[in-house]
Amino acid sequence: MTTAHAAGSRKRAYRAPAPLGGRGGPVRQRTRTGSRRTRTALAFLAPALIILAVFVVWPMISALQMSFTDASGFGRAEWVGLDNYTRIFTDPDIRDAVLNTVVYALLFTPTAVVVALALALLLTNDRLPLRGLFRTSLFLPFIISLAVAALAWSYLIDPQVGLLHYWLRGVGIDLGNVLQDPTLAMPAVALVAVWKNFGFYMVIFMAGLQEIPGSLYEAAKMDGAGAWSRFRHITLPMLSNTTAFVLIFALIAALQAFDQIYVMTGGGPYGNTQTVVMEIYESGFRKLELGFASALSYVLLLATLALSIVQFVFFGRREEES
Amino acid sequence: MKRIPALVVAPVCLALTLAACSSGGSSDSDGPVELTFWHGYTEADGDVLEQIVDDFNAAHDGEITITTQVNPWDVIDDTFLPALSADNGPEIVAMPAERLPVYADRGAFVELDDFYADDEATPDLNAGALDMVTVDGTAYGVPTGFVPLTMFYNKALLDAAGVAVPTTWDEWVAAAQALTVDENGDGTPEQYGLALADHATVGNGVWPTLFYGNGGAVVEDGKAVIDSPENAETLEFWHDAVTAGKISPTGVDGVSGDSLFSSGRVAMYVGGPWMATVSEENGIDYGIAPIPAGPEEQAASAIGVSMALTRQADQAQQEAAQEFFSYFLSREESVAWALGSGWPPLRTDITADEVDENPVVAALTEQAELGRPLLPGVVNSTDVLTAVDDLTQRAMAGEPVDELLAQAQTAIQAALDD
Repeated sequence: MTTAHAAGSRKRAYRAPAPLGGRGGPVRQRTRTGSRRTRTALAFLAPALIILAVFVVWPMISALQMSFTDASGFGRAEWVGLDNYTRIFTDPDIRDAVLNTVVYALLFTPTAVVVALALALLLTNDRLPLRGLFRTSLFLPFIISLAVAALAWSYLIDPQVGLLHYWLRGVGIDLGNVLQDPTLAMPAVALVAVWKNFGFYMVIFMAGLQEIPGSLYEAAKMDGAGAWSRFRHITLPMLSNTTAFVLIFALIAALQAFDQIYVMTGGGPYGNTQTVVMEIYESGFRKLELGFASALSYVLLLATLALSIVQFVFFGRREEES
Repeated sequence: MKRIPALVVAPVCLALTLAACSSGGSSDSDGPVELTFWHGYTEADGDVLEQIVDDFNAAHDGEITITTQVNPWDVIDDTFLPALSADNGPEIVAMPAERLPVYADRGAFVELDDFYADDEATPDLNAGALDMVTVDGTAYGVPTGFVPLTMFYNKALLDAAGVAVPTTWDEWVAAAQALTVDENGDGTPEQYGLALADHATVGNGVWPTLFYGNGGAVVEDGKAVIDSPENAETLEFWHDAVTAGKISPTGVDGVSGDSLFSSGRVAMYVGGPWMATVSEENGIDYGIAPIPAGPEEQAASAIGVSMALTRQADQAQQEAAQEFFSYFLSREESVAWALGSGWPPLRTDITADEVDENPVVAALTEQAELGRPLLPGVVNSTDVLTAVDDLTQRAMAGEPVDELLAQAQTAIQAALDD
């Protein structure tokens, strides 16, 4: 029933409102055999749900419990009430880590989104040759582990043995020791994350772009709209759902910055790339203050949630207005 | 309905697997006492340690069986903590010595004061190494390594420049200047006299070593003493030497310093004993000398490794582990361990002559008395070392030393207090 051809033709005939919206089965069938289908669905979902419960929900609950104690990860833990939470809001190290995370998010999120959108526009252009090749190679970094990418980049920009360094010196640019430079270290680690992640955002944008009906552009062209105003008044508004999704995704990724920082700078130079998650790792695994680390994780979770809700509301309102 | 059993089976399987995982390492009443030993010795030293453990197992056939598991030093903490919290950790664990106090303080390790009272080897152990296993006057571990940082130099480069091995700071800087070569005159030397790391240094010990040289220190008797005129002088001396003569690349850490020396781009380096093997592998004709004496003292921060007995061990396992510690510290095994690991013997009654078949070990044995323990008994060594890195990195970048020292003093004292 759902051959590729049938799915394709239905997609063309019936335009889903959301770019990532699934296609549900016919309503008539659901009411008649609803309970049986629900049970079947649950059975299929069960393995995933159990894994989720054991490895996500249960650790989250025990972390919440731990955040009110002075747990070190083993042995006995004392209940300390809100001590860990009050410490978060008074500790100057945490304040610095929050500021660093904000700087990182401001560097990473807009850059990743703009690069992804620009490349998505380029790659959906029919006149570009070898589109498949570009699409694949631009997406490739996303499937590499961030730690591996970070190691590769540290070698590339190493002032002593780095290839990138060598080339740039050849054309008269001296990068210096980027990762040890207090002003350049943060942009460098953010750039590595952009390089690694933009492919994913790009693919989402491309899906969003393909949902925009060509007739809109044709109509605009006939009315004499130039490329910029077509982009400004058709592409951007039609993409607002996709953009919201990508922005939230990128922001969440930014708030969780850890891997490449751990590998490339270890939080340095002098704590300039120490993010909140680095601070969580250090408290938990270095200082054995798992209670405090759990509390910090929960504050980060709530902050992420709050930001996501704000973004949802903001984009939701824009949607209604347009 | 048919699927419901599957739903039940899945968690049961999972529970069984978890139970199976956590049952390892326990001791039956009939069979031999089984112990798991985690360590991070991955090179030739690892093979020697395996041999020592095998010999021990053979000598205690049917009574004690120790199984080793290798976890590299830089991740041993990361794996040890989750294992402990899952009650699934090793009975014996070796770790960088400055990491031991925090675990001891949180109650992860068995107190070993009785072992020290009984064992005949312990009075002969290096005092600095013992300091690094002692927290609040109680012993929580047995040292497996203690070696002062030492100076490695590239013989070929020194010979070519006609430079003698320096023995004082002034000679050291002069030698480094003579060994720094900027062939094309672009201001970036192709060869440096020295690789002076300014953060994450080898064993976190390069700057403590330099501070000792001028009569300063980082922590003394549980108090921060970093903000001293001596340390200010030290920082200024080395900042000026590096800036004026470009004798060292900047922004170097321990890892990049190792590779600079082993690639022949640096003539002199403060490093750990593994640099001997690393140099050989890279075809560097190296020499070993004590750290040049500072204006006040000649001393070096030591790299320590300690092993401890975790609280997961039951009574029988604790006794078996202490049996192993005694065996490990015995004279014969100490010599074998020193020769094989390339680290100097931990017992002070073993002389350099006894280990002279390995010239590196003999050389390091003669330097052993220069070694000072790094932050012994300091629970929050993480924050102290971060503060030192912060200080040295900023000072080498030219920020005003007095302010930096005052900040470091506050940060370190706070870390010691909490």
